[in-house]
Amino acid sequence: MITAGIDIGSSALKLVILESTGKVLARYVGRAGYGSGARAREFCKSVGVNIDATVATGYGRGQIDWADKSVTELTCQVRWARQERPAARTIIDIGGQDCKVMRISESGTLADFLLNDKCAAGTGRFLEVMAAALEVPVEELGSVPNGPSAGISSTCTVFAESEVMSAVASGLNKEEVIRGINDAVASRVATLALRLGCIPEVVITGGVAQNARIVSAISRILGTRPIVPKEPQLTAAWGAALLAHDKFC
Amino acid sequence: MSRLTSANHLKKVMSRYYTGLRIPSPGKRIAWVTSGAPIEILRAMNIQVAYPENYAALCAARRQSQRLMEIAESSGLSEDLCSYARCHIGSVLSPQAAPWKGLPRPDVLICCNNICSTVTLWYEYLAEILEVPLFFLDTPRVDGSPAPHQVAYVKRQLEDLVCFLEARFRRRLDEQTLAATLKTSVKTARLWAEIRNTAKKRPSPIEAPDLFIAMAPIVVLRGTRAALDYYRLLHEELLLRIENGVGVGRDERVRLVWDNIAIWHALFRVNQMFATHGGVFVADTYTGGWTFELKEGDPLESMAHAYLSVFLNKGFADRLADLEKSLSEYSAEGLVMHANRSCKPYSLIQPELARQISKRMGLPVLLLECDMADPRAYAEEQLRLRIEAFMEQVGGIL
Repeated sequence: MITAGIDIGSSALKLVILESTGKVLARYVGRAGYGSGARAREFCKSVGVNIDATVATGYGRGQIDWADKSVTELTCQVRWARQERPAARTIIDIGGQDCKVMRISESGTLADFLLNDKCAAGTGRFLEVMAAALEVPVEELGSVPNGPSAGISSTCTVFAESEVMSAVASGLNKEEVIRGINDAVASRVATLALRLGCIPEVVITGGVAQNARIVSAISRILGTRPIVPKEPQLTAAWGAALLAHDKFC
Repeated sequence: MSRLTSANHLKKVMSRYYTGLRIPSPGKRIAWVTSGAPIEILRAMNIQVAYPENYAALCAARRQSQRLMEIAESSGLSEDLCSYARCHIGSVLSPQAAPWKGLPRPDVLICCNNICSTVTLWYEYLAEILEVPLFFLDTPRVDGSPAPHQVAYVKRQLEDLVCFLEARFRRRLDEQTLAATLKTSVKTARLWAEIRNTAKKRPSPIEAPDLFIAMAPIVVLRGTRAALDYYRLLHEELLLRIENGVGVGRDERVRLVWDNIAIWHALFRVNQMFATHGGVFVADTYTGGWTFELKEGDPLESMAHAYLSVFLNKGFADRLADLEKSLSEYSAEGLVMHANRSCKPYSLIQPELARQISKRMGLPVLLLECDMADPRAYAEEQLRLRIEAFMEQVGGIL
């Protein structure tokens, strides 16, 4: 049996094709937007296997009209963890537009969750806006060396951008500002995690988990070392493919 | 959702009430009152009552609140002010933009702070712009049961209210009429409690959105025959549903309790997001605010006791106990709390209530950030994600 999990987030389209042995046959990460559904379909075809069941997830899941089921990213993330990180009790998912913290029960189900409020601070979009303001590729924000950090407010993406501009104008060096940006995201995310009660083992997923500076700042605040999976962007799609197995195969 | 046939009657009752308010007649007096005001005294003195809060909720349900709030905000009021206050003040400042051109002009304003403290400033502002006298009734915060000195303090103010109205309108309060009005009020409140209790059955014959609509008469027509007759009709209909094993018209897979005022501008839309996953709101904490009893004895003293004991006038321990009682009596499997941006006394303690409920009862709790009457605080996709994840958490994946 072969299943597909498709996760259309606010900024990326992620796809995992899974064998019943648990082996990932194919994976895809690309930009989300108009035509995500069509691209997902093309990719599934290009793999050249017969897909028995599909589960869609993410804000754009409605675009996958051929999916057998729609499930929220939260349940998909937890399903992935049950398979791949059974000791995990907390997942922090930092996506393009929101940040989610999930608590996993002993039996591996979604026990509780918290999402960021109506604000994009502490998300991937925040980093994209700041990277653009500093004229730095977003991927490079995580590779800045240790050093002093500029104090950037973590309350609002729009206002934080003007703070960054004023830091630049006042002659602070770019690396200091970048460290300030990373710290702002980390403090926002860690506060949310602590509000839910952050039980180890903690896993960080989502695109922002690729930023090593943010992960280590979160780790400092939480007082525990989170695990970052090898492909942190793919976990929800992977969980969706697992759920497709559970439900339909 | 299957429609209640008594809803047709409700529509007539409410439209008769609102039309009646506008029909001029000699000696007619109108009071604008807060939702927790002791209206039995006014009714017994043949003073008509109009409710700015109910009016604002109606405007929101008709999706006409935003324009009125914008008028209030343009006049200088803060966006952080209660949306009922903004909506109603907007209708006063610009009646042409308001449904039914706003409420008919009042002769007097009666403000009781047992529901919140915003009403104090709201009514002071109304008194200033309308140049209408304001009577202010102060109800100190109660923990458990009202203390004798609190009852005495409020009773004295009720006596003052009677003097104030008698002097203002040159009419006497007839004690027998007051006793009869109170009797009808209590009878109606008991019936309302019975109606809410029917939802303890499985399947529940009624759900929270029905209750939110059906609550209008217990608020604005309490103490009248019209309200009592409507609730008798509704009660009979619900008993018949129970007898025939009829629920709310769809599968009842997950029983839920709603905390806080409804999201009036998206009442059925939000309900549908839960309904799709088999969720039925069998109870809510808001409509239960109008199920009260009166103690035997001096009528003003009993009223003082009852109006002090309104749930929004109570502290954390009472709110928690009420919630726990509702959740267990209605066999609920989850609690949904509307973190209502407008209603601070209702909403500020919700995160701690949520934590206590999940700790003590092991029940999942969802907090939804929105607003009762301001559609600009409504973010549908964000609500949907939270609701769907919550329903997967409570009910599993179907």
